[in-house]
Amino acid sequence: MHFLKSARFQKAIFLFIVVAPAFAAYVLFTLYPNALSIFYSFLDWDGIGVKTFIGWDNYIRLFQDPFISRALQHNLILLVTVIPITLAISLVLADLLVNRTFGENSFYKVLYFFPNVLSLVVIALIWSFIYDGTFGLLNGLLQVFGLGGEHNWLGSKSTALLSMIPLYVWCYVGFYVVIFMNAMQGIPKSLYESATLDGITHMQRFTKITLPLLSGVIRVGTIFLILSVIKGFEYMLIMTKGGPGGSTEVISLYMFNLAFGGLNLGQHFYGYASTIGMMIFVLLVGLKLVVDKFFAKDSVEY
Amino acid sequence: MRIRVTSWLWRMVLFVWALTVLLPLFWILYQSLKTNQEFFADIWAFPSHLKWGNYEKAWTQLGIGKSVINTLYYVGLSLLISLFVSTVNAYAFTRIQWKLRSLLWSVIMISLFLPGINILVSQYTLMRALDLTNSLNGLVLLAGLPVGAFELLLLGSFMRSLPKELDESAFIDGATLFQVFRKIILPLSMPGIVTIGIFKFVGLYNDFLGPFILISDPDKYPISVNMYNANAMMEFKADWVTLLAGLVITIIPTVIVYVLFQRKIIEGATMGGVKG
Repeated sequence: MHFLKSARFQKAIFLFIVVAPAFAAYVLFTLYPNALSIFYSFLDWDGIGVKTFIGWDNYIRLFQDPFISRALQHNLILLVTVIPITLAISLVLADLLVNRTFGENSFYKVLYFFPNVLSLVVIALIWSFIYDGTFGLLNGLLQVFGLGGEHNWLGSKSTALLSMIPLYVWCYVGFYVVIFMNAMQGIPKSLYESATLDGITHMQRFTKITLPLLSGVIRVGTIFLILSVIKGFEYMLIMTKGGPGGSTEVISLYMFNLAFGGLNLGQHFYGYASTIGMMIFVLLVGLKLVVDKFFAKDSVEY
Repeated sequence: MRIRVTSWLWRMVLFVWALTVLLPLFWILYQSLKTNQEFFADIWAFPSHLKWGNYEKAWTQLGIGKSVINTLYYVGLSLLISLFVSTVNAYAFTRIQWKLRSLLWSVIMISLFLPGINILVSQYTLMRALDLTNSLNGLVLLAGLPVGAFELLLLGSFMRSLPKELDESAFIDGATLFQVFRKIILPLSMPGIVTIGIFKFVGLYNDFLGPFILISDPDKYPISVNMYNANAMMEFKADWVTLLAGLVITIIPTVIVYVLFQRKIIEGATMGGVKG
């Protein structure tokens, strides 16, 4: 009885010292701000002055604000380009690394993954230098091949947003190469062997066997990519600040600028920014559900 | 014959992608050893001599020296606290029976569904109300103390795989809970803790948005925000080679950690993605 009592006491102490503060911090710093942002989304508030409750006004404003639809269009352009390009390149590279036995393959896997551990600011600044109008790497390469090379890629409205696409692809491909390699290595060899006996080509093997078996992983990858592309506005924040002329302003950056930018606004909009945050939240959950439904039917078990 | 040609073609594809990763990095390194005049005149030309002085300038004039100390403090302390929190919580949630366990576990797992992007404003106002803005300790608190779902999942599954008899027999021998944790569970969980530690280190070292929003005093900038700021100043100074040298300095710790722990990093980073 005495033993039980002391063991119980130890347990209580342990839980109190260990679980309680970390859990309280989780509730305070993660859960509470989520609730708070719902509250803020109904306010007219500049962050310092009086909080005015304005009901659904901010939500109505979402639909009337032309900058919202413009920003969402930019997001859409990035989503429909970055995701398929990233998936296609990663699938091809992963297939090559798994099914061809080149000596350098294991080195490539590690090298391809490297952009994932690079700091966001470093990536942003490297790509700023790549795209620079006077001493950029891209222009330098174009000059070597005699293809012009005078263009200011991030400085002109027509190319600024499109220039972000290769950056995103460059960042993400390595991660998905590893994910797809793991999945491909999990496919039973016997499936390939019987097909090889039937005289199937590399290409048919890839499209007829590998791709269908990977549909579950591709679905997860698509959801991951949607999340990353919509959330990842820091590159624009660092490289273009949304410019020129708002041509690289994506929805998260617009939200960020409303709250913290104050550059041209002269004022902070904490309430309205929180409303946009809620919209992004709903958007992300909605897109996840759509992708789940879209892919659920044709996922394959083996 | 045809097969050999296509085989080489595919080999080239792999090589080209490798080049897209390596070329920009080497290019930065190459330009960082020139003078500004050489850099502006011709980006391909060899430097007349290697200007290691750019690195000295970056360290002092761009404030990298100071920001490295800030980063060491912020990353080091956050890492220590968060590893402690993750390990003891994983132990409490997987190997001790208590009343609210499954309830608290599910509450923590909620965070896996929260995108986080919608709380930029509210988290900032919360930190401001607690007087934790513009303070490295505030950053440490925010990054280190809250228990994380990902860490709990990873370490928890690791600890669950350890046989139950380990703690039971130790308890019968009269060991206390603390002793069991420290002498048995902790050493056996080391591989999992190291994986999380490296993974966390990379995340903390690269973290930009948090410090960018919360820290306003340049003397307290961690290295990522410092580089952002240095870049913004270049519009007036145009000392690009020094900035590039600063970039190389920023990349060096990443390269070292990656070369040493690439297997663990890749394993840890892709762990969430493998499961459908």
